[in-house]
Amino acid sequence: MSALHAWLTLRGHGVSERLFAWVRLSRFALAALIGVLSPATYNKATRLVVQKQIYFTAWQILPGFAAFSALFSFLIIEIVGSTARKYGFYDYALELIVRILVLEILPLMTVLFIALRTGAAMNTEVALMKIQNELDALQRIGIDPMRLELLPRVVGGTISVLALTAVNIVVALWLTHLLIVDFNPWTLTTGDFTRMIGRVLDIPAMIVLWGKTLAFGFAVTVIPISEGLSTPKKLFHAPISVLRGMVRLFFSLMLIEAAALGIVYL
Amino acid sequence: MLDSTDKPAAKKRVILLAGDAERRQLIEEHPQAILVSENLPLRANLSVLENLTVVLQFRTNTYIGEANNTALTLLKQAGYADCAEQRDPDLTYEERFVAKLLRAVVLTPPIILIDRPAQLLPDSNYPFFLNRLLLALEGRFEQCWILDYAWNAPLYSRRA
Repeated sequence: MSALHAWLTLRGHGVSERLFAWVRLSRFALAALIGVLSPATYNKATRLVVQKQIYFTAWQILPGFAAFSALFSFLIIEIVGSTARKYGFYDYALELIVRILVLEILPLMTVLFIALRTGAAMNTEVALMKIQNELDALQRIGIDPMRLELLPRVVGGTISVLALTAVNIVVALWLTHLLIVDFNPWTLTTGDFTRMIGRVLDIPAMIVLWGKTLAFGFAVTVIPISEGLSTPKKLFHAPISVLRGMVRLFFSLMLIEAAALGIVYL
Repeated sequence: MLDSTDKPAAKKRVILLAGDAERRQLIEEHPQAILVSENLPLRANLSVLENLTVVLQFRTNTYIGEANNTALTLLKQAGYADCAEQRDPDLTYEERFVAKLLRAVVLTPPIILIDRPAQLLPDSNYPFFLNRLLLALEGRFEQCWILDYAWNAPLYSRRA
């Protein structure tokens, strides 16, 4: 009986700890949202940190990531195009590609890449800043670390996710036109392509697409930063913080994706 | 609490304390002072110059070039311009201390408190080093108080 009691206490403690972590994350997300929207946050120093964040998150990886994305898009377009041709649905190939690739796969792939590369780095950096007392040091000398170090990362990271997604979508649409219309012009014309784009990427679809991407960008920066900030001041907690941050980020991204799918298809 | 003011840097005061409680109390009593302490590290992934520039730019909203020039001038004045591009883990104790002190100087506080210099400069004759450094930076700060323990008083004698 006492073993059962101990087990239940342990489970209950774990559940309440997880719940508390989500509450803490929500509070930080709200504070970050208010901070990001407040003009008082920005000055020459914070804008410079935003620029650096965009450089490290988007600009530095742009050629390689765009090439990878083009290759990935090429494969998907070829698979969908050849399968549609085989079953006599080639007229629907364009719409299928745009719906699958542009609206769903590319935004998710972009944010997962940013999460792995920048999110993990951001989580580690903030955790180490917390452990080594760097944030307290800034606070103690009268510099608001939220304004100088954290909010610019949220802004820069979000802009980067939006920009990389936009680049990937443009590359994918250009490849779609090239492979489906230009190289196989016997069934579809440029007019079909333009009409299909207008039909599939209508205003509601664009609102959902960019709303989702914006939420992805916000999550991929806010969750790692919040986890980093809640790291206890002991060095061995740094990897645990990154692990928790990445798991929480993954679930949040899946939740955003599911919510966007629900809005579009339900 | 013992108090002494050395000649070379007239704005320098050495405050010798009986213990940690007295030290904490003194720091709490001067919230307007900027602390230079072992517990307040530099930003580890920024160079010395960036550590100074970012603080200066944030406080004064100046352009990066202007902030860089000011920071570099200060480093040259202190005689430590060579470490401008180095990051915290690559710095010697003296270089790290200079970076921390200049970070406080650029904020132009009424008082700079150097907290337990023996912790910041463990392998050097720190009273001599501090005297020389503060003399080099004369005119850049209002008041600089050195908080040390009374048992280190012999180190501050004129021959030290």
